[in-house]
Amino acid sequence: MTAAASSDADLITAHAAGDPHAFSELVRRHRDRMWAVALRTLRDPEEAADALQEAFISAFRAAASFRAESQVTTWLHRIVVNACLDRMRRRQTRPTVPLPEAGPGEPVAPRDAMAERETRLVVQAALDELPEEQRAPIVLVDVEGYSVAETAQLLGIAEGTVKSRCARGRAKLAKVLGHLRNQGADANVPVNDVQVQQGRQLEER
Amino acid sequence: MTGNARRSGPPWSVDLLADLHAGALDPRTEAELRPLVENDPEAREVLAALDATLEDLHNLPPIPMPRHVAERIDAALAEEARPSAPVIDFARAKARRAKRLGWGAGLLAAAAVAVGIVAVTVPRDNTAGDGGLAQPDKATNTPVTASALPPGSGKLPAVRGQDFGPAVGDVLKAQNYGPLENQDKLADCLRGANITAGKPLGVSPITLDDKPAVMAILPAGAPGAYRIVVVDPKTCGPDNPDGVLANSTIEP
Repeated sequence: MTAAASSDADLITAHAAGDPHAFSELVRRHRDRMWAVALRTLRDPEEAADALQEAFISAFRAAASFRAESQVTTWLHRIVVNACLDRMRRRQTRPTVPLPEAGPGEPVAPRDAMAERETRLVVQAALDELPEEQRAPIVLVDVEGYSVAETAQLLGIAEGTVKSRCARGRAKLAKVLGHLRNQGADANVPVNDVQVQQGRQLEER
Repeated sequence: MTGNARRSGPPWSVDLLADLHAGALDPRTEAELRPLVENDPEAREVLAALDATLEDLHNLPPIPMPRHVAERIDAALAEEARPSAPVIDFARAKARRAKRLGWGAGLLAAAAVAVGIVAVTVPRDNTAGDGGLAQPDKATNTPVTASALPPGSGKLPAVRGQDFGPAVGDVLKAQNYGPLENQDKLADCLRGANITAGKPLGVSPITLDDKPAVMAILPAGAPGAYRIVVVDPKTCGPDNPDGVLANSTIEP
């Protein structure tokens, strides 16, 4: 049952039926992406590892009662994202450590020029500076490639909120990364927030 | 705010343009603003800057989970997959340890546990009702809480008998050698029981039946296999097999 060809839903079913390998296989399939999400949102490898361990254990225990109303991956990712968000909320004032450029053991592709690596470091550092409420949707949508709808589901917020938080975060990043370096002062002055708020889609409710 | 975009005119704020770029504006405002923005070079520059920012984010490399984290999580899940009560006869295991039968008994117990793990494949929540196995002992199945700990033990994970389950998660998160101080001293203790160990996946002071001890979780060679050891920090050493109080292997 734990063969590579099994679907995620098959693995959950097998897990509920007592297959001791099924859940581990499910985790193996998704762990790299979830690790990236955890590390990029929490910015601390130890915390990311703790959050993932907690999340996977929690999912392991809850999996027997999983109902196929949502996709397994969405369900599992949501548990992971929630574990990360819980930790983000709890630690508020704790300093964070810079992310390593790559995970330990990750081979550095020969084509990686020094300039590319530097750019990545700068982008990662800029991302780290974002407020957490903006960093989480940016990581999910713009880095990890989740759709706005998926991200809204994962974060438990409206799609409009995802879009507006992404917009705020991208605007800040564009400035920090120097893409807006030559903009006139006026372009950097926010317009009346009330006007902008009113103009957003009424999805935020 | 329909009409605000038109009335406000250029230069538009970066935030407003970022909302437009992200599709965060209502359709009517967007329809009004879009043609105006497209005719404004400065606004187009802002949109191009946002596109460049998105490209930078898309180009961040994947971050594979480090091996030690993957092993740690695999070990935690393997422990979770164990039945909630020891499969070996609990009283007999305790008596064995009390008699300090040493390494031979430890190996036997570990083998028994390993066989049990292979035989029992149901998750923790589904263990009841398997007639061929020892029934879960509710007393040993209670999650560790501060109130369950003996006075003066702080928040050390507590283990009763061979029910390591409640402590494993905490130990896996720790690299705290406690009174053993470092990996070398742990290795010395384990050598007393002929156990060769590298860096543990997790190590932490615990209490074993209310007495201070140190638990370590080690890779056991085969993929998905882990060894849980508990040592007495006061007596363990390379010449004392009895310093290893528990030695159990988890196999997938």
